Amino acid sequence: MLIWFLPVFLFFLLVGLPVFFGLLAAPGLLIWLDPETSTRDITLLYRNVYNGMDSFPLMAIPFFMLAGELMNRGGITERLVEFSQALMGHFRGGLAHVNILSSMLFAGLSGSAVADTSALGSMLIPAMERQGYSRRFAAAVTAASSVIGPIIPPSGIMIIYAYVMGESVAALFLAGIVPGVMVGVGLMLVVRLMANRYDLPKAERIVHKNQSISGKEYWFSFVLLRLNLGWLLFALFRGVTGIAGETVAEDGAVIGPAPFTIWVTFGVCVLAVHVLLMGLRRSVDHDFRIVTKRAVVPLQTPILILGGILIGVFTPTEAATIAVAYALVVGFFVLGSMKLADMPDVLSRSAMTSAVVLLLVGAAVAFKVVVSLSMAPQILADFILTLSENPLILLFLINILLFIVGMFLDAGPAIIILGPILAPIFTDLGVHPVHFAIIMSVNLTVGLATPPMGLVLFVASSVSGERVETIAKAILPFLAVEILVIFLITYFPAFSMTIPRLTGFVQ
Amino acid sequence: MALLHGLLRPIELWNDWVLGLGRWIAVICIALMVVCILLQVFFRYVLNNALPWPDEAARFLMLWMTGLIAPLAYRRGGFVSIDLALRLIPERLAALISLVLLVIAGFVLYWGIGIGYSEVTGFGGRFDTASLYVPLSLDFTEWYRVPRSWMFSSLFVGVILLFVVNLELILRSVITMLGEASRLRPIMGDDVVVE
Repeated sequence: MLIWFLPVFLFFLLVGLPVFFGLLAAPGLLIWLDPETSTRDITLLYRNVYNGMDSFPLMAIPFFMLAGELMNRGGITERLVEFSQALMGHFRGGLAHVNILSSMLFAGLSGSAVADTSALGSMLIPAMERQGYSRRFAAAVTAASSVIGPIIPPSGIMIIYAYVMGESVAALFLAGIVPGVMVGVGLMLVVRLMANRYDLPKAERIVHKNQSISGKEYWFSFVLLRLNLGWLLFALFRGVTGIAGETVAEDGAVIGPAPFTIWVTFGVCVLAVHVLLMGLRRSVDHDFRIVTKRAVVPLQTPILILGGILIGVFTPTEAATIAVAYALVVGFFVLGSMKLADMPDVLSRSAMTSAVVLLLVGAAVAFKVVVSLSMAPQILADFILTLSENPLILLFLINILLFIVGMFLDAGPAIIILGPILAPIFTDLGVHPVHFAIIMSVNLTVGLATPPMGLVLFVASSVSGERVETIAKAILPFLAVEILVIFLITYFPAFSMTIPRLTGFVQ
Repeated sequence: MALLHGLLRPIELWNDWVLGLGRWIAVICIALMVVCILLQVFFRYVLNNALPWPDEAARFLMLWMTGLIAPLAYRRGGFVSIDLALRLIPERLAALISLVLLVIAGFVLYWGIGIGYSEVTGFGGRFDTASLYVPLSLDFTEWYRVPRSWMFSSLFVGVILLFVVNLELILRSVITMLGEASRLRPIMGDDVVVE
């Protein structure tokens, strides 16, 4: 009888019951009606909601939201857009390219497609209109590129998936990098083709000439850039030459390098980078240098997060906290763009959004227990295997199913509902759990930009003042590329799995 | 109709005050969560001396943050749902279905309050937390080990607050169905967006 919870749940969902209540009402109702179960089972449902929320890894969600919110308040959007424009503005369709590149950079900070659309859209859509782009095209590019937000790490939906399905957050984060870049590059190719056909204009590379930068920020960026590049050179040097690396003694013991050797080698690398940068300094103009320098501070956030997780220094939760601390230091002391009076609003927005997600995750954990008890995955697997036994065809069918679900439901709740049902089926068929997680995440995220219920379409509409239907038509060429990328990452696991494998996060 | 408005008013006032207070406590909770984890990182990596309590303290704060601010999100329409079907059907029918959905949500919450109470006062709640203590004296010589029931209470309180918000939404829905929507005070604030 318990298997009926699934149709009951779908019915509740379709008539408009909030997902949180649906996840609890459908199984609760059937447990209550089933003579073989008792009220103790309903108590278990409640306990699972609580246990589902009482989790240290899940704490990364409020922290990443807070870090994104703080960065956004600190005026980083403008810096990222100016930096993107300095890099790509001179191409045909310059501002459309800038829009996409800004989304890719923004994705490393926020992990939210909605934040991306509203922050970049309010700035770039009017600018694109002034340059002669149609408003619907500008809104469509903004909406289409914003889906990169939850694909490139950090990503809220990947944290949720990893927690509900017991996967490694770090592995999912790393697996999202290539698909995110592929979506971005794909969208740029569409813009390139359209630029020729519709004669899209080029833009100035530098918007604000003779900009100044505060002394504090100048030196902060100066040091950060050298430390990052110096560390990269140090890692390469150590890997290639073995100097300052670990050695294996005759008895097999691993001997670490002396701290003195490490620091001296690192110092030499920083010095070498400094000399290189000073040499390059002469070949670029002053404005370009200032714009680039202003982008160093925000772009340090993804480096801190991913670097910390990759080296194994931080857990994702700790990395998120470090990102919050960094955003606070930058906002208050380096850029001076935040005031104490801004904090209650920032904190309450992050707390409210994450509370809704946390409740949903708690309900999803309770729901997952009922899913396992009801044997739903096995029954569904038997049904799916009657359609075909070829995993490639089944993956194609799943792509279509997820795409349709994504049209009606946001990515987070959809992952919470479908992950526990679908993932076990495909893992049994031999699809790697991390690969399947990426297929689900990218598929459902692209759904955010598809009509009729795509959330970012509505946000793009409210930011641009253009009707949703009009944006939905203009977005079609971009969606086609995104669907192509979905198929590529579905049928060629190497796209998503190579980085996690190389870094040892996936066997 | 006057009866409905009379019933709604005190519930609105309760929600205005209590959820407003809850919001401020949640703000303090999330700020303290950040402090706890930063302390954990600092002590573990810089001082090489891992503290036992920040992990549990941060979870304690996160649970209370959720319990206290989620009802405000629900009141502002921030709980995710698919409202396409409701938009496609005639207005009156949609209002009726919305009311039925609120009643279903009410049943879930009512059931949650019952179980929540037995969880807080029951066997599990009598155990102590692993590492949380509160001082009982100003000179910090006496400490009281925090029972797990204090943590369990977060969801219980959250469910009670959600139930009261649900009551307000039911009354508003009935008043709207009876054609008096114009007399209702708006409650929607910033839309809460969930991904």
